[in-house]
Amino acid sequence: MSAMHGTLIDTDVLVIGAGAGGLLAALSAKRHGPPGTRVTLVDTWLVGRTGHTAFSNAWTVVVEPDDDLDAIAREIIAGNDWMADQPLVHEVLATSYERMKDLEALELEFPKDGEGRYVRRPTRGLDATRVLSPVGGGMELCWRLRRGLEAAGVQILDRIFVTGLMRGARANAPGDALTGAAGVHSRSGEFHVIKARATIVCTNAITFRSGFVRDITGTGTLLAYKAGARLRNMEFSYTRPGTPRFYFEGITFAIQEGARFVNARGERFMPRHEPVWGDEADVPRIARAMALERQRGNDPLYLDMSGVPEAVRGDFIRSKVKWMEYFYRKLGEETGTDLFDKAPYYPQNQMTKGGIRTDRHCRSDVPGLLVAGLAQPGAANHFAGFHIGMCIGTGWIAGRSAIEDLDRLPPPALDAAEVNALHAASFAPREDKAQAESDRLLRDLQSLMFAYDVSVWKHADRLAPALERLAAIRGEFAALAAPHTHELVRLKETEAMLLAADLILRASIERTESRLSHFREDFDFRDDANWLCWVDVREDAGTPRFEMTPIATPISAPGGVGAAVKRRVRGAA
Amino acid sequence: MIESIDLSRCTGCGICDIVCPADVIHMEQASVAPEVPGLIERKLLPVIKFREHCITCFSCEIFCPERIVDVHPVIRNRPRAW
Repeated sequence: MSAMHGTLIDTDVLVIGAGAGGLLAALSAKRHGPPGTRVTLVDTWLVGRTGHTAFSNAWTVVVEPDDDLDAIAREIIAGNDWMADQPLVHEVLATSYERMKDLEALELEFPKDGEGRYVRRPTRGLDATRVLSPVGGGMELCWRLRRGLEAAGVQILDRIFVTGLMRGARANAPGDALTGAAGVHSRSGEFHVIKARATIVCTNAITFRSGFVRDITGTGTLLAYKAGARLRNMEFSYTRPGTPRFYFEGITFAIQEGARFVNARGERFMPRHEPVWGDEADVPRIARAMALERQRGNDPLYLDMSGVPEAVRGDFIRSKVKWMEYFYRKLGEETGTDLFDKAPYYPQNQMTKGGIRTDRHCRSDVPGLLVAGLAQPGAANHFAGFHIGMCIGTGWIAGRSAIEDLDRLPPPALDAAEVNALHAASFAPREDKAQAESDRLLRDLQSLMFAYDVSVWKHADRLAPALERLAAIRGEFAALAAPHTHELVRLKETEAMLLAADLILRASIERTESRLSHFREDFDFRDDANWLCWVDVREDAGTPRFEMTPIATPISAPGGVGAAVKRRVRGAA
Repeated sequence: MIESIDLSRCTGCGICDIVCPADVIHMEQASVAPEVPGLIERKLLPVIKFREHCITCFSCEIFCPERIVDVHPVIRNRPRAW
């Protein structure tokens, strides 16, 4: 082990991750804190130009003063199959209009019609909820926020990859609280220690480098687990149908306009599995239907776009996002790919829905550790616009809670042994061959976790052997050492994915029912009597311990008022 | 996946490096043909260092002020198994 050297930064509030959740958390902490409050925002890459939000259209749920807030809250809760922190969802919705005004004050523009009303859209699968998207999409949203944070005096540190959360010398003793984080500069490899009184983790959902934004891996959630926090919702994921070789975002619009899923025999299979909604079923249920077709040997499966009328083809591939505009143009020009043909499709795991358990104020079980964005598991569904709305809302709430906590939290004191251990873990001996091995093990992990009968259509008889195969991959992985900083970051991310995979498989075994995006072949029914609860997990001496936490239903209960969701599909985002 | 950067027209501004969310492009010292024979001119130029980790986000191409970066739209490193 090399002698330790690095940089120490002292701050009041540390925000890790600069998507919508982290950017809003930093803004909120600065606005709620007394003058002189030190707020530091770090991200593995360039704040304002990278991350999931930056590459999205930033469709965002906004409840205007004249909207029926309670009806919107009820349908979103029902649309989550009640996997929702109801008071938190309600507060996010109730404050969404104020948050939009905050963004407008940073010169982000939301389109209005000729009469000065915001141009809003329904969102697929809901009836009363409306979403809107800023001019310039997520890239503009993130950049305006960066400029706003700079103007407000937030310290922004680009290219800091956090490798561990610190508990300090008082871990698990009276007065114990998180003392900040350690990490490396993602280019130079320089070691950084950031001492903070309150730390807000906003590192997105856990992914297996499978969605579009494959630089996002959600490592903060696993670091929080290692630091003693409970995780929640590990059995749920967002799995959407996609093409193997290119990214196509317009599937919702395509289906509205006549695109159809067909199997290898040319049969339309969705009506068979979803008699009411057919091809317009919710995304998790399309994934389930595809898995069933695969199980019956009816694959490969396709999306047949030939039924989309010529007149509307230009409309739904038109995007506010610059990269998509480049992508569509070059796909035609350089590859001769006709989007409006029959293309192979299969369910792709975009992200898991596991996150760090918090109360409705975004405080985790560990003092000094708060959570926002998709790392906060307050809702398990993924309606267009709702997830960024939750990121914006929870970011604001977490920043406010962090400021409220500052006086209650002890001054952070570093523990030299802990800092040395974190340094040693980042500066292990280097090994040149590791990159190829690391890429291979990642592919093995993806194959294991994306198998249709493990990730979508689950069964105890398949989940248990998957755990054994995973243990073998983890064993091989443990021997790898990074050849350089680029690979060090990737290795740390893969290490987190391996842990996430373990917790996902175990949580999937725990929940013996089917709900939302969790489908058990051996328990193919929703069981509200026994399973209206979260599956939470904490680490106990290296072993995951699961517990069930009942979900409070003060706003909406299954079978109660507003429990049946009317659904709007046409024109939805 | 990123295909190429036309270094003959590159000013070495480094924007492609800083906007990359996957650490694919690194600015590195390079020797180039000097304006005056006898001098060795060094400048920072982008190197596609980890092409296999490119996520095809087009940021390097979009933000390049000289428009000399070319990203191919087909994603070759996406996991296929399900």
